[in-house]
Amino acid sequence: MAVRPLHNHDGGIMERRLRPIYDWLDNGNNKKAVQEAEKVLKKTPNLQAAKALKALALLRLGKSGEATTVLDALTAERPCDDTTLQAMTISYRESQQLDKVCRLYEEAVKQEPASEELHSHLFMSYVRVGDHRAQQRAAMQLYKFAPKNPYYFWAVMSIVLQAKSEPDATKKNILLSLAKKMVDNFITENKIEAEQEARLYIMILELQEDWQGVLNFLENPLYTRLVPGSMPQACMPYLKKVGQWKRLNLLCKDLLIDNPDRWDYYMSYFDSVFELINNPSEADGDGNADDTAEKCHEFICSLIESMSTGKRLRGPYLARLELWRRLSTTGDASLLGSGAALCLQYLRAFAHKPCAVPDLRAYLDALPRGEREAQCREFLTCLGFDEESQPDNMDDVQRHVSCLGCWRLAAPPPAAPACLALANTLRGHFIRCVERGPYSSTATEFCAADVYALLAAHHYYYAAQQQQSSSPLLSACALLELLLRRSPANFHAKLLLVQLYHTLGNGLAADHWFSRLDVKHVQLVSLGWLHAARLPPALAPARAAAASQLQATAHKHHAKDSVEHLTYAYKYGTFEKLVSLLSLQRRMAACAGARGGAAETAAAALLAAPAPPPPPPGADGPTTDNRDLKVIVNWQPYEQRDHTIQQRSFEQDGAYVQLKEALLQAVSTCTELADTRPAADKRGQADALRTLLARLGEHYEKCQQKYDKKEETGLSVPLPSRIIALVNSPVPYRELYVGMFTIVADLSLNQFDDAAAQCERVQRLVGRSVELLSQSLTERFSCDDPGWVMREALEDMGNYCEFIGFISYAIGLCSELLAPASQKKKKKTGQSPAELLAAAAARALNHATLASLATLDNIFELWPQYVVTSTPLIADYKCPVEERLKTGHAEMLTDIRNILKKKAKHLKTLFQ
Amino acid sequence: MTTIRPFTCEDMLKFNNVNLDPLTETYGLSFYTQYLAHWPEYFQVAESPSGEIMGYIMGKAEGHGENWHGHVTALTVSPDYRRLGLAATLMNILEDVSEKKNAYFVDLFVRVSNKVAINMYKNLGYIVYRTVLEYYSGDPDEDAYDMRKACSRDVNKKSVIPLTHPVRPEDVD
Repeated sequence: MAVRPLHNHDGGIMERRLRPIYDWLDNGNNKKAVQEAEKVLKKTPNLQAAKALKALALLRLGKSGEATTVLDALTAERPCDDTTLQAMTISYRESQQLDKVCRLYEEAVKQEPASEELHSHLFMSYVRVGDHRAQQRAAMQLYKFAPKNPYYFWAVMSIVLQAKSEPDATKKNILLSLAKKMVDNFITENKIEAEQEARLYIMILELQEDWQGVLNFLENPLYTRLVPGSMPQACMPYLKKVGQWKRLNLLCKDLLIDNPDRWDYYMSYFDSVFELINNPSEADGDGNADDTAEKCHEFICSLIESMSTGKRLRGPYLARLELWRRLSTTGDASLLGSGAALCLQYLRAFAHKPCAVPDLRAYLDALPRGEREAQCREFLTCLGFDEESQPDNMDDVQRHVSCLGCWRLAAPPPAAPACLALANTLRGHFIRCVERGPYSSTATEFCAADVYALLAAHHYYYAAQQQQSSSPLLSACALLELLLRRSPANFHAKLLLVQLYHTLGNGLAADHWFSRLDVKHVQLVSLGWLHAARLPPALAPARAAAASQLQATAHKHHAKDSVEHLTYAYKYGTFEKLVSLLSLQRRMAACAGARGGAAETAAAALLAAPAPPPPPPGADGPTTDNRDLKVIVNWQPYEQRDHTIQQRSFEQDGAYVQLKEALLQAVSTCTELADTRPAADKRGQADALRTLLARLGEHYEKCQQKYDKKEETGLSVPLPSRIIALVNSPVPYRELYVGMFTIVADLSLNQFDDAAAQCERVQRLVGRSVELLSQSLTERFSCDDPGWVMREALEDMGNYCEFIGFISYAIGLCSELLAPASQKKKKKTGQSPAELLAAAAARALNHATLASLATLDNIFELWPQYVVTSTPLIADYKCPVEERLKTGHAEMLTDIRNILKKKAKHLKTLFQ
Repeated sequence: MTTIRPFTCEDMLKFNNVNLDPLTETYGLSFYTQYLAHWPEYFQVAESPSGEIMGYIMGKAEGHGENWHGHVTALTVSPDYRRLGLAATLMNILEDVSEKKNAYFVDLFVRVSNKVAINMYKNLGYIVYRTVLEYYSGDPDEDAYDMRKACSRDVNKKSVIPLTHPVRPEDVD
């Protein structure tokens, strides 16, 4: 962050002295900056700015203690020059102590009560901490001696934000009335200057639900002067609110005649038409408004007819479909004939555009299933194509793939052999285009023929699902790899490959393509579900940690920057965006994906040996779903698609994270319990741990009941939530986790008998659990298709390895708690037999864990390989699928076995 | 068939189908929020009937005196919604806003290899004002065309007299 203030007021002397410090800071050489600051301070020991910059440099060097000393001393001096304050502000911002900035400027304005600049900084400091009330006060004070519009509206906005967060309705109304009155005064005095001020007024009226008030204001010449040319559109939502349907109808018609491609106008138009149909009393006497379906249809047809022949717009055609859809939900759409016929008409007109299928999706979904399935082939054949057609120019290829796409969205789901046959045919089309044309793709444009391969991949997937076989998945991968060789821009193919390789349980092969999607920043948040979240169960802990780190960084940057952007929004008076920025800030802060990633990283760290204590879970409370689950195009008909996946998987993942956070909380409490305090001082914490474990057990059991069914997998949706595999495992994780943490609680209170009994119980469970795991894996792999079960098998192993991480850590704590006992033993001084027994039991548990690690290593040694038999797709092209799977697989096995070996080595050092 | 509306923060969580395009840069969140806070009227999104993001434009107004101009920072259309004239619609909006702000011209940078885009801009009345050497970092770095179109305020079209020599990125103001 640039430190230098934009302007200085010191006549240059100070600036000259400080310049080298700024330079070092800007170059990131903080050590030199400290030295330079000290040099300056030798000459001018009281130069506050130099002290402030020194503090900043110290902070950036990681010497936060020293920095705080300097800052505290400076604060006591009550600085009020801009340079010093700015530098201190940056220090506090970087150390997340935003409230201190407020205190700083509160003192500064006391020193210089007439400084506009200081007051404005004070206002911004309140913005950063979200203290809207203090903001209001600061803005009004500012306005008193610097009567400028922005300051006045800062105050108004601050009141609005107070109202928005006020739960009490009466108080809320009072605040809103106050805000409104403040703007009203300005309107009366003709002092409103900016568009955003007008918009803020509308925002207030909206919050008051005074729709008529908004309309009156929009019709005020003042609004037209401030926001020229936007009045008619702006009125639409409010005309709806006040039920002026006739007026809305006429307004929309007017606008549509000039803009026949504006979907939002059509939507309002249809709303008005259907209101007028349903409430004839509202209807129009003189007949200008469209108050019947017939008139509405006539109007749309007139729009179609009035289009010049050269340029055909989609708008009116799609509007006719929308009219049909709305009429069909009310019962009678006979006026327009069959919906299928309208869809076909649209397809015939626009099949040469890639948007034809996305446009038609919603209407194909709305067709009655029987009618749609009965006529599905017409979508394929309406332009003279069938599945075997071989168009010889690019436009026809686009038409062909549009027809194919609509056909697939309309057709009943075929059985596996038919899926395979169609996939093979489509693959043939793609290969023919690649080998003999027409085929053209550039760095920016895909080729229409790519859709053949994408559709084929989807159909291979359907077949694989029905046959429970990996072979069609491999065919899909091979085809998509070829596609990307020819059309490297095609991100649809990359997304599918990521998903397919994860389905095959190969996180590292998936990583190859995910990294080529160049997903960055906010995309890491919305697409984390696709890859980052799947790496831990694919046993790729190193990549998982890296991916999770990237995601966390994106969040951290946002959290830091977003407060600054709130201040920009005030600076530029963009009040509407302020609301949007605030809502994003909240949404990101509560991101479920980030919570999951953090818990995952902490759990993974436990497996690394010897494990440092993981941080306790941070955030609490409800989370938000920031995933974009629409990114992978789905080609299944309506009935086959999973319409509840977003909500369902969000809940499942939430349950999973809750479980994991409880485990991490338990680890954190156990760590504290293992310190050297006397047992009597630990009672409260040990009780808290027992309560936590009871809750954990209950939550686990609830999940077992709720999520007892296996989830269907799908190519366009997230793989099943990890809660499913965990709670349906034959391994009794609940007993294992609760049991092992209980040992720590018992030992911390010197309840040695209980601890010994608990150790023995857990020891038996550990021995049994690895047998159960082993058995279930043998069953899984008995199907002779390792590729098909690889993902689930690895997820099972992943869950067990994670458990190993937790239990090793717990055993480590037991060893610490029992260490004095062991020492006593060495010295042969007296010790209670109970202590000795407990130590022996804990040691036996350690041995059992080591034995299970040895078993895990055996399992991994004999871990099955993928069986890949591929036939060459085209000449001179070596399909990389087999190589990618094998390399990924080998790397995964080596990594995890190394981790487990290190873990075993560590466990052997315990109880020495 | 489009709804044109102001870009909102939430759009960033669902613009993948536009931004996964290799030539569409995804910036840090704060880059977008900064534009939203500063130049909201220059940041518009085109939405499909099903609520999908078809494309968006992001721009700003900057410069002093006769250099006061509208700048296109990003213009992108999802592959599914190309060849519909959407980019032109979005450019029109940006030009309108620039006219209202009394700008002298509108400018933009484009990779010299991006023939499709360059042609489109030419069809919309833009000229190549100058070449900026190695403007896009990468392997290898790529030159940019600085393309311009005069607004009505620039009566004599002074802003669109092409430079004869290329410039370095550091000389671009």
